[in-house]
Amino acid sequence: MSRRGGARAPGSTPTKRSTDKREDATSVNGDRRTQVGTRAFTRRARATQRRRAARRTRTSERGVAPIAARLRALSRRAGLGRIPRAAWICALVACLNAVCWSILTPPFQVPDEPDHYAYVKQLADTGSLPVSGREQPAEEILATLIGIRYFEVRQQPQHHAIATSNEQAELERTLASTPHDTGSAVGVARSQPPLYYALETIPYRLAGSGTVLDRLALMRLMSALFAGLTALFAFLFVREALPGAPWAWTVGGLSVALAPLLGLMSGAVNPDSMLFAVSAGLFYLLARAFRRGLDARLAIAVGALSAIGFLTKVNFVGLAPGVLLGLIVLSNRAARASGRSAYRLLALGTGVAFSPVLLYAAVNALSNHAPFGIVSGALGTTRGSLLAQINYIWQLYLPRLPGTVNDFPGLFTTTQLWFDGYVGLYGYLDTTFPGWVYTLALVPAGAIALLCGRSLVQCRAALRERAAELAVYAVMVVGLLALVGAASFKVFPKTDAEFAQTRYLLPLLALLAAALVLAARGAGRRWGPVVGTLIVVVFVAHDVFSQLLVAGRFYS
Amino acid sequence: MREVRIALVAGLALVGLAIGVELAHSPMTVARTNVTSSEEDRIARTVHGATYCQAGELLPRETTAIRLSLFAFTGPRIRVVVSSGGRPIASGQRASGWTSRVVTVAVRPLPQTVSDVTVCASFAMHDEALTVFGQPAPRASAAYEDHRALRGRMWIEYLRTGSRTWASLIPSIASAMGLGRAAPGTWNVLLVLVLLVTVVVLASRLVLKELS
Repeated sequence: MSRRGGARAPGSTPTKRSTDKREDATSVNGDRRTQVGTRAFTRRARATQRRRAARRTRTSERGVAPIAARLRALSRRAGLGRIPRAAWICALVACLNAVCWSILTPPFQVPDEPDHYAYVKQLADTGSLPVSGREQPAEEILATLIGIRYFEVRQQPQHHAIATSNEQAELERTLASTPHDTGSAVGVARSQPPLYYALETIPYRLAGSGTVLDRLALMRLMSALFAGLTALFAFLFVREALPGAPWAWTVGGLSVALAPLLGLMSGAVNPDSMLFAVSAGLFYLLARAFRRGLDARLAIAVGALSAIGFLTKVNFVGLAPGVLLGLIVLSNRAARASGRSAYRLLALGTGVAFSPVLLYAAVNALSNHAPFGIVSGALGTTRGSLLAQINYIWQLYLPRLPGTVNDFPGLFTTTQLWFDGYVGLYGYLDTTFPGWVYTLALVPAGAIALLCGRSLVQCRAALRERAAELAVYAVMVVGLLALVGAASFKVFPKTDAEFAQTRYLLPLLALLAAALVLAARGAGRRWGPVVGTLIVVVFVAHDVFSQLLVAGRFYS
Repeated sequence: MREVRIALVAGLALVGLAIGVELAHSPMTVARTNVTSSEEDRIARTVHGATYCQAGELLPRETTAIRLSLFAFTGPRIRVVVSSGGRPIASGQRASGWTSRVVTVAVRPLPQTVSDVTVCASFAMHDEALTVFGQPAPRASAAYEDHRALRGRMWIEYLRTGSRTWASLIPSIASAMGLGRAAPGTWNVLLVLVLLVTVVVLASRLVLKELS
């Protein structure tokens, strides 16, 4: 309680500093004025004051000032005024970077983008959820895919996107002649909840009179907004979780904003983009609650964001146990201070969070369907012993333990699947750097890991104090990893690791930001900012070269 | 803080230099291929270790990589050996973990073209299925596994460093980038460049402001 009461608001440091600066500036000006004190100076100053007053009157007469004041009040009430400018710039960088990726990546050359587009089309055109998981898309989509040589280019890096004016003319003829048919089979997207797709119907309808490519371009821009939110929340998370060195927040926020995989996925039509933002938002809210204590507003916010997560993508289920644990721990803490009534916060948070899931189950149960729809069917197909499954999931991420069956002989999954997948696997999982790049990337990654480790050792006492908070984050991580692993295990050994795609781990981007902040701080007070700068430069280089790689692969 | 400024400028200069060096390099081009425009066919599928060989191939001079049309979700380790008269003349291998419809294996280049070579590809498989693509062919000329003919010939491409640099390819890349999209035109390239520069400038200014 005392810690909570005594904790300084995270935003207070920079605000205080800037206020101080203003005060300093005023006093300096004041001193100068007394020192100079000439009549000419006073005349000029009075004239300036009169001009400013006249301008203020004119502006307020026009009604701009009240609107601006109202906007300021609104943003203050929404808490936006307390968000540092640096966080907004990180969000802008992430957003622009995702827009860049959305233009660079040819239409539909991102995993499952045709299926996600088809889901939006089904929802927008018919107002109903998709029922068919077939891979056969609507005529309109199919004609476009053929026109842009999608099937030749996908997963075949020896083939490039259309490159001649004849092909372009043919594509334009196809787009003009294919009628707009309603509804579509949505392939793998069928199992996903509808919130992201419902939002995407807005740009879809805005470009309703255009072609499939027009609609896709606008829909991709909407996804890019989620990249901005992801970077913003990552920044706010490190501000709450690691408040000690404000300069380092920028390192975390900017690095996330420049992550090429975030750009690729948020520059495409894919619910992953929204899930990244929701997950980063949850990490932020939990960190805020651990720092300041859980109140009704925070409990509702955590619950509401979790509900949005459930409605965004099935993968959110992996994060849910951690969020639930977080609410329990926070309620327990609150109960110690304010009695058992604090458990109402737990009920409030979980009630809001799980309401869409319960509603969905109730509707299914009343209509004689499996309670969790297609997800129930997937759960029912679990096979093999629990031990075999745990062993598989372990080895999917980490080296095999002695005495266990080797599920991935000749494959070091940690680096070959996950690290290499992060460093460079773009397009439809078909665009890679030369092999030496992945080896070289181990050098900065190793250095960052060492510095992060050093920082953790240095602040081990603080870590012990925050063990419960760290346990909550750990459960969120393990939950997501286990979910991806369990999904892969269902098709193993037919496919060794079908879902071993690094994009599935990007809901943990906020933790990457924290690791990078720790790494920068691990270099010490003197060299920390320099190392932080170098980390940002590494992320800039990674982003730029990844974009050049994609341009070379599709258009050379 | 002067060190931050120096680190940023030096880092970005290094990135610029690396881009310049890369632009001076030439991308790989296809020196020879037996891939035809006709429909591809699945000529083999395996879930265990296997070695597929194909005779009657021609290895162009300066070949630095061999590309095979294979599909696996988590590709196995692959070893490619090129033999002439029963003697290996070039070989290379690719670690497991690749995923695509083709896999490229780097080999040591030879100064001269060698005809009538046999290309063998070995896979260290576990359980996952691997599919080999190619084109149907008579048994006599088909690829084989342990003297057992497959359904046809494997598609193989021989790659070597091209004569044109990336820099000289920029106009054609820019032109292609403007096609096949909602609003076609080279302006797409300019927009990407403007966005990328804006991103770098914004990030750099923020670093200087917050970290200095």
